[in-house]
Amino acid sequence: MIIRFVEGIGYKTVSTLSSFYEALKFTFICLVHMVRPSSYTSAMRMVLTKQIYFTAVTIIPLFVMMAIIFGSIIIGVVIALATQYNLQDSIGSIIITFVIDEFSPFFTALLIALRSGTAINTEIAVMNVNKELNTLREYKIDLIDYLFLPRIISGIISITSLSIIFALIMLSSGYVFTLFYMNMDLHTYKYILINAIEVKDLIILLLKSIAFGFATMLIPIYSGLKTGAAYTAIPISVLNGMVKLFIAIFLIEVLSLLIQSL
Amino acid sequence: MEIYEYIDTREEYSLISRDTPLISNLNMIENIALIKEVHERLSIEKAENIAKEYLEKIGISDIGLNRLNECNSLEIFYVMFIRALMSKEMNVIIVTPFSLISNLRDIQPIIDSIEILNEGKNILIFDNITNKSHYEGSSCPIVK
Repeated sequence: MIIRFVEGIGYKTVSTLSSFYEALKFTFICLVHMVRPSSYTSAMRMVLTKQIYFTAVTIIPLFVMMAIIFGSIIIGVVIALATQYNLQDSIGSIIITFVIDEFSPFFTALLIALRSGTAINTEIAVMNVNKELNTLREYKIDLIDYLFLPRIISGIISITSLSIIFALIMLSSGYVFTLFYMNMDLHTYKYILINAIEVKDLIILLLKSIAFGFATMLIPIYSGLKTGAAYTAIPISVLNGMVKLFIAIFLIEVLSLLIQSL
Repeated sequence: MEIYEYIDTREEYSLISRDTPLISNLNMIENIALIKEVHERLSIEKAENIAKEYLEKIGISDIGLNRLNECNSLEIFYVMFIRALMSKEMNVIIVTPFSLISNLRDIQPIIDSIEILNEGKNILIFDNITNKSHYEGSSCPIVK
């Protein structure tokens, strides 16, 4: 009984470590392909253009609307709290840290994960079950170059650009609230923000967006690739992929907070 | 020996079988052009023009922009065959065509179209002995 229990733990540990190693290896191979100029064929560039269109462009109306609604409410609450606790002097750095360093990339990553992450996980899983991935292998078309790399790069570009749009919308909403709560004019608001923003904030926004973009596409792709041969395996693959993706997004957020606090 | 075991013993080839379907999120022209775009690094325009020329040769250029679900099994087979011709391999292997094309009774019309499309490649059709009667009287040599 005890031996079986210990064997069970051992088997679980070995299989977890082995799948973690596989995932790391896949990540490394994707990174190598990303910096290899020969990966960028005309077919790959066409897929990349389509992916950027579907991931970043078609979502803009919904994204802007959500940024205005959620962004304005949240920035309003932050400004109201800062005023309540007499933190008006630090309002610039509070807004910049909250909007640029934290909320914009995180919210954008969540939205893209929900919309495009699930779509990509399903697409790769369906292609796997339909043996379309086998076709590409048989015809010596590199799956990473043709299928995965455009999606990963589009994820990075989309999350970075949408995070910047989100941050700009939130900062604009911030002006409306500072006007009502602090009677601050536009010139003063701009002056406070410019004084508060540092190169570090922009680097954080960029690095976090890149990390979120990479994870948001890579994890669903990997999950889709590991789907079993039956159609019934597709929802399980999407479910597992999404859980892993959300854990990864929160992990990146926590890691970035830890690094910033050092 | 199973068909696939035998195929694995052969040299480089392009395979047309149930295990190598067309890509469903590409149209027929894109499915064909993809091979040349990747292997020969042709521009999309050039590769797609070649694909259109091949479709015109057998009079199915009207399906060029169709997706998989908009084509019948014969059209899909021809597109799979043209795609196989696009690769550099000298051998094209067709596995059990009667399972790929629904309601196909006679292989000869398929062989005629293959002859129109083919430009010097070795075309091998692999089938089960139970389908032998479908090939009797056809213009291609039969090897058991």
